Amino acid sequence: MTGIRLDKLRKEYGTFIAVNDVDLTVNDGEFLTILGPSGSGKTTLLSLIAGLTEPTAGQMMIGGRDVTIARPQARNIGLVFQSYALFPHMTVESNVAFPLQVRGWSKDKVSAAVLRALDMVQMGSLAQRRPAQLSGGQQQRVALARALVFQPDILLLDEPLGALDKKLREELQVELRQLQRRVGITTLLVTHDQEEALSMADRVLVLNDGCVQQLATPEDAYLKPANRFVAEFLGTANIVPSTGGRQGVVRPERIRLLPSGSGGVPATVREVIYLGQSVRYHLDTPDGGRFVCLAPFVGEKHAINSAISLAWSPEDVWPLQ
Amino acid sequence: MDRGASTLGPRAAGTQPRSRGWKAALPFVGPLLVLVVLGFNGPILLIVNYSFSAAGTYSFVNYQELAATPVFLRVIGNTFRITVLTTFVVAVLGYILAYWITSLSERTRNIVLALVVVTFWVSVLVRTYAWIVVLGNAGLVNRTLLWAGAIDAPIAFLYNDLGVIIGMANIQMPLLILPLYAAMIKVDQRHLQAAASLGASERTIFWRVFFPQTIPALASSVMLVVILCLGFYVTPAILGGGRVPMVANMLDTYINSIPRWELASAVSIVLLLFTLALFMIYRRLDKWASGEEA
Amino acid sequence: MERRTFNKLLLAGGALGPVVGFASAQSQVRELRINEGGGLNGDAIDAGYAKPFTEKTGIKVVRESPNNFGKLRALVESKSTTTTLFELGTASLAQAKALGLVEKIDWSKVDALPVYPEAKDDYGIGYQYYSTLMAWRTDAKAPKNWSDFFNAKDFPGKRSIPDDPVYALPMALLASGVSIEKLYPLDLDAAFKKLEEVKKDISVWWKAGAQPPQLLRDNEVQYAASYSGRVVGQPGISYTYNQANLNIGYLSIVKGSSQAQIDAAYKFMRELTDPKNQVVAADIVPYSGNSPDFEKLIDKASTSKFPTTADNKKVQYFNDYDWWTANADSVQKRWQQFALNR
Repeated sequence: MTGIRLDKLRKEYGTFIAVNDVDLTVNDGEFLTILGPSGSGKTTLLSLIAGLTEPTAGQMMIGGRDVTIARPQARNIGLVFQSYALFPHMTVESNVAFPLQVRGWSKDKVSAAVLRALDMVQMGSLAQRRPAQLSGGQQQRVALARALVFQPDILLLDEPLGALDKKLREELQVELRQLQRRVGITTLLVTHDQEEALSMADRVLVLNDGCVQQLATPEDAYLKPANRFVAEFLGTANIVPSTGGRQGVVRPERIRLLPSGSGGVPATVREVIYLGQSVRYHLDTPDGGRFVCLAPFVGEKHAINSAISLAWSPEDVWPLQ
Repeated sequence: MDRGASTLGPRAAGTQPRSRGWKAALPFVGPLLVLVVLGFNGPILLIVNYSFSAAGTYSFVNYQELAATPVFLRVIGNTFRITVLTTFVVAVLGYILAYWITSLSERTRNIVLALVVVTFWVSVLVRTYAWIVVLGNAGLVNRTLLWAGAIDAPIAFLYNDLGVIIGMANIQMPLLILPLYAAMIKVDQRHLQAAASLGASERTIFWRVFFPQTIPALASSVMLVVILCLGFYVTPAILGGGRVPMVANMLDTYINSIPRWELASAVSIVLLLFTLALFMIYRRLDKWASGEEA
Repeated sequence: MERRTFNKLLLAGGALGPVVGFASAQSQVRELRINEGGGLNGDAIDAGYAKPFTEKTGIKVVRESPNNFGKLRALVESKSTTTTLFELGTASLAQAKALGLVEKIDWSKVDALPVYPEAKDDYGIGYQYYSTLMAWRTDAKAPKNWSDFFNAKDFPGKRSIPDDPVYALPMALLASGVSIEKLYPLDLDAAFKKLEEVKKDISVWWKAGAQPPQLLRDNEVQYAASYSGRVVGQPGISYTYNQANLNIGYLSIVKGSSQAQIDAAYKFMRELTDPKNQVVAADIVPYSGNSPDFEKLIDKASTSKFPTTADNKKVQYFNDYDWWTANADSVQKRWQQFALNR
């Protein structure tokens, strides 16, 4: 049982609080993404878990073992950096063999395990290359193989796909997710990309200013954001009045565009952005409110400056705290 | 444009602008080039010419005399011995010092680096004599040790191999520390963190991850130190007390005292060839260090 | 191709000398360039000789230093010397003669005052007498001769002598009992045998004249052979001229100098023979001039300090530089061999 439990974990740098009393439980085999803008403390949180940074206060358990002050070597965690951190002076094979060699594995066992790990990420044919001779995507796969080859309890990924182009990133997201399911390893992935966070995770942890904003499934985090920060950070949020004098959030795709005068909120089209399958409208209401709506594109668009009405059902409004 | 097209390939991008830049730079580089050829290469040709001269004609007599006089080769041999010892000391101490500097806070690091660089501003002669003040029989170290009762008679630091090696190592140290330090801070800290998370001990991290990444810089700086040590003159003459014959001192005798320039030239050419061979190794290592390795 | 031709080509290509050479070959001589040892020595030349010379002739004296022998050879080989006078030691003068690097002096054109005969060499004027003598810390037991100097049993302590066979070999022979009169031709085997015997007591073989007084002051050694000017008058250091090597600093005319330059040099040489000038120079560096009248002009108390005063001169010896010219090469090789094992 190799879940993670953080209890009031805190990291201060002088007067700056990078991680502010974070409580978190990650289940065995779960894929959790940590999402937040830059400076939100997500990378610090990851390095606290990896043992690269010492916490100021709090407690940390991995698989029921207290690792709060354990050295990184003692944590049995596979770590992948955004820069991959492959050893430039070693071949792909030596890089992947490294964690096994330092564990004193026999030569035969090492080469068999390295072979398996490289095949797992489809890098077997490039075993003798140096990192500098590989593309970014290939380096990423090697880094993954190296982080998994010694069968760690936890896999930590720090913006692992951030340096890749969009298409490759999407491919690798799928691969990574499949791999994680196959291996069944508890995985934490840090990202600032909300799409990545939502698409890969079992659960999403949203961080801001070192504090947990929400911990929820991707659907819940998107449709039922805990607060305005989460609502606006995860996609686009239209803020509308809700019950009990509170504000609520409606997602752009939940808003219907009706002909002008057919009830609802009157608005003027300010900008029309064509996205292929859909069209995004930026709209202004007479009282100065601004809306963003996403409508499926079926051959007709509203023109700029045309007057229309906006409507949504009450169940699509999520009240904010 | 044709040239650009014909050189297309993975490396072509860098090639073309470079060759164009070379042409544009010629008016600026040209005079310098002439100066270097006339001022530096010309005299070397003269030395080659002298080394083959005897009684108004060309011959190999100087080289024959050199080969037939074991003492010349023994002095060259001794020069290499001192050079190797000095370089070893510089490499070990310099590496430790450079490594230590990388571990300091940025402020302290700048101060220490400034202290290293400052030694460049003090003349070699002054630094050589300074060692006499520090290490002599009546010097700082011996007086302290005598006062503390650690020794009964002064330790002979100077006027032997030890004195020469200390003096030369001191002068060469910055030449090793600075490039090595530059290479060390370039080593990605995440490599070390990654190695730690992969389970490697501090020792293993140093020897298998950090050290190998600094070897190219270490090797090329060591080569630089070796080449400079071979030509040392003042320090061995003063701190060796005449007991540590070096090639440069012997050359001085054959240039300024006896003046047998022809023989001195032959010795110089032999030394030059040795040094060139080392320099070629140095170039290889340097290319390796800057990652141009194929 | 002849070697000479090749040399000319290289020199023509490499040196800017010829252009400057033409300019200074004009009949009107404005300045006289002297290459000398530098340091206090140069100050002495300025004050003692250059000042009266310039006052009389209007010709400016420009000094250059140091005076490496190799530089003289380079000046001559350039075929366009701008330097007229070059300071040489006795040994290097003999070599310069042998290699044809200096002009013969027409003494009939030099309006010289009386000087010691050895100062009037065909190829140079001896202008400064200096000694290489034994010196010791005043708190050490005083040696009387080189036998004492090298006798570590009765005169305990460390020694320092020059890393130069020209000085070290005669010292060794004198120490083994050879008299000054019978010193030359040097018995090399005996000299090296003596050095082998005493080398364990010699902790520093010095290269630079500044070393021996420093070594004595620092108590690094107790006995040192030194240039007289470096130790005479230094507190805590004693010395004797007994069995010292008397050496003469010569100024010679660089081969290839123009007649106008040579004539100017002759006028400068006259100033070098004037004992009044010599006293001014000796006030800056305690070396003596070439005039037998020099001794009469210095104050009585300091006569014993100078190498050429009658009492001091008679107990010293000159090196035989014809012998050295003939044997320098083989002696140097043996010396280098010896240096490897000491």
